[in-house]
Amino acid sequence: MSTILSLNNISKRYSSVQALDGVSFDIPAGSVFGILGPNGSGKTTLLGIVTDVLKADAGTFTVMDETPSAAQRRKIGTLLETPNFYHYLSAYKNLQIVANIKQQSEADIPRVLELAGLTARQHSAFKTYSLGMKQRLAIASAMLGNPEVLILDEPANGLDPVGIAEVRTLIRQLAQAGKTIIMASHLLDEVEKVCTHVAILRKGKLLGSGPVNAVLSRDNFIEIGSADTQALAQLIRKHPAFAQVLPGQEGILQVTFTQAIDPAALNNWCAQQGLWLSHLQMSRKSLETAFLELTNN
Amino acid sequence: MLQIIKIEWLKVKNYRTFWVFIALGLLAMLAPNFIIHDIFVKNIPQEAQKLLGQSMYDYPLVWQTVASVNSYTSGIFSLLLITLVSNEFNYRTHRQNIIDGWDRKDFVLSKLFWVVSLALLALITSLVAVIIFGSIYGKSPFSMENSRFLCYYFLQVLVSLCLALLVSMLIKRTGLAIILFLGYIMFIEQILVSVVKRFFGDVGGLLPLQAGDELLPFPMVEKLVKFSGPYDTTVYLAALAAYVILFVWLVFRRMLRTDL
Repeated sequence: MSTILSLNNISKRYSSVQALDGVSFDIPAGSVFGILGPNGSGKTTLLGIVTDVLKADAGTFTVMDETPSAAQRRKIGTLLETPNFYHYLSAYKNLQIVANIKQQSEADIPRVLELAGLTARQHSAFKTYSLGMKQRLAIASAMLGNPEVLILDEPANGLDPVGIAEVRTLIRQLAQAGKTIIMASHLLDEVEKVCTHVAILRKGKLLGSGPVNAVLSRDNFIEIGSADTQALAQLIRKHPAFAQVLPGQEGILQVTFTQAIDPAALNNWCAQQGLWLSHLQMSRKSLETAFLELTNN
Repeated sequence: MLQIIKIEWLKVKNYRTFWVFIALGLLAMLAPNFIIHDIFVKNIPQEAQKLLGQSMYDYPLVWQTVASVNSYTSGIFSLLLITLVSNEFNYRTHRQNIIDGWDRKDFVLSKLFWVVSLALLALITSLVAVIIFGSIYGKSPFSMENSRFLCYYFLQVLVSLCLALLVSMLIKRTGLAIILFLGYIMFIEQILVSVVKRFFGDVGGLLPLQAGDELLPFPMVEKLVKFSGPYDTTVYLAALAAYVILFVWLVFRRMLRTDL
């Protein structure tokens, strides 16, 4: 798999704040790559550097194995932070400007307006749009010319639940069509549903990057409960395949094991030891739990 | 460059403020000549007219008259330029243009296109004004003598527009940029000229807009008060050219280096 974007030791400082600190990772072609991190972790700064609106203090990056250039940016559809358009112009006329900058045919404008559900309002001035419509126009703008690579910074911002679902479906369709999507988000639910790879940032430092399940380890665990939780907690540690007890809700133990465990066999083992389970459920650690564990450590 | 010009055209062709500014600018360059003619030619006693010699709207003096009068009013085009540039910062479209595939230098070139276009528009309008007022009010036959004053005027407008571009790139907010620019052209530079002339001599006449003023004295007043500067014309022309280069260089430096 070739590399779409390769970051090498990127650093950026805003006066006293180290926004990015030696960040390096690669984004493989055809991936849906989520850049995750709490607010202020450096996600937008990183994308700003890649799109040349911010200057890195140190480090280099390549786009499609070449030195970054304006010509390459024309081949990438980008939505960075807020939708930026000329307030006095209509959606259509704004997209005419984008199409000309991207050196793409204006004939593609009706398609992307339809995709974003803005055909009916295409001749209304941008300043009359709602927040959600502005975001939809920004997505339409990024889609102009059907680019092979998309950079979407918080694409669901300002959208209603229907809009969020539509964006998710759109991203999936684009991914299925083989596009590379680089998506910054703090909505882990979104990432869990669409991303194949992630990079996790915290306070400008890269905590990890790669396939989602490799970076955010989410072992299966079993939730168990009994009338005497303390006795159960002591007993379960004696199980031959016991790994650890995760922090969980009161009265319920979330336990991981060193090997796959059959719930029926576990129930049987506990009964043989004289403890009857009142609760037994196979579960998977949520991405949110895994993310919080990683970013809080 | 043609692509950049097309994109700039798309930005302004449906922008009402742009057309209002253009109409105002053209009006402000033509209308004052009617008033000046009424005050200094039509209403002046015949005896005084004889003393002053040639009428201000006779060739070749009309070139100097129109250039001098218009040098006071063409600042409207600088205000238009500030509006166009600071709009980009207000709407954050300067970032979006780069994100979508412009080089940072393309953005500067797009604004330099307006600098040159507006300066040319001022020059052409002034040329038309010379022809109109020279034929309506003048009694002498057409002559190219003194047409150099329109070149001086063009250079002065160019300097004024480059200064407006620099101010709008540095300030970014429309209102503040306009106030600062107007303040500078209306009185700040005049104060600076007075101070520099008092303490350092004639070099005060080489400040950006003053250098143009020294080349464009008002014809009739020039006979009463010595207005044109002590330096040779080439010194003022060199100063104007140097300001254009300096301001454009500073604009490029700012745009190419800073975070947007």
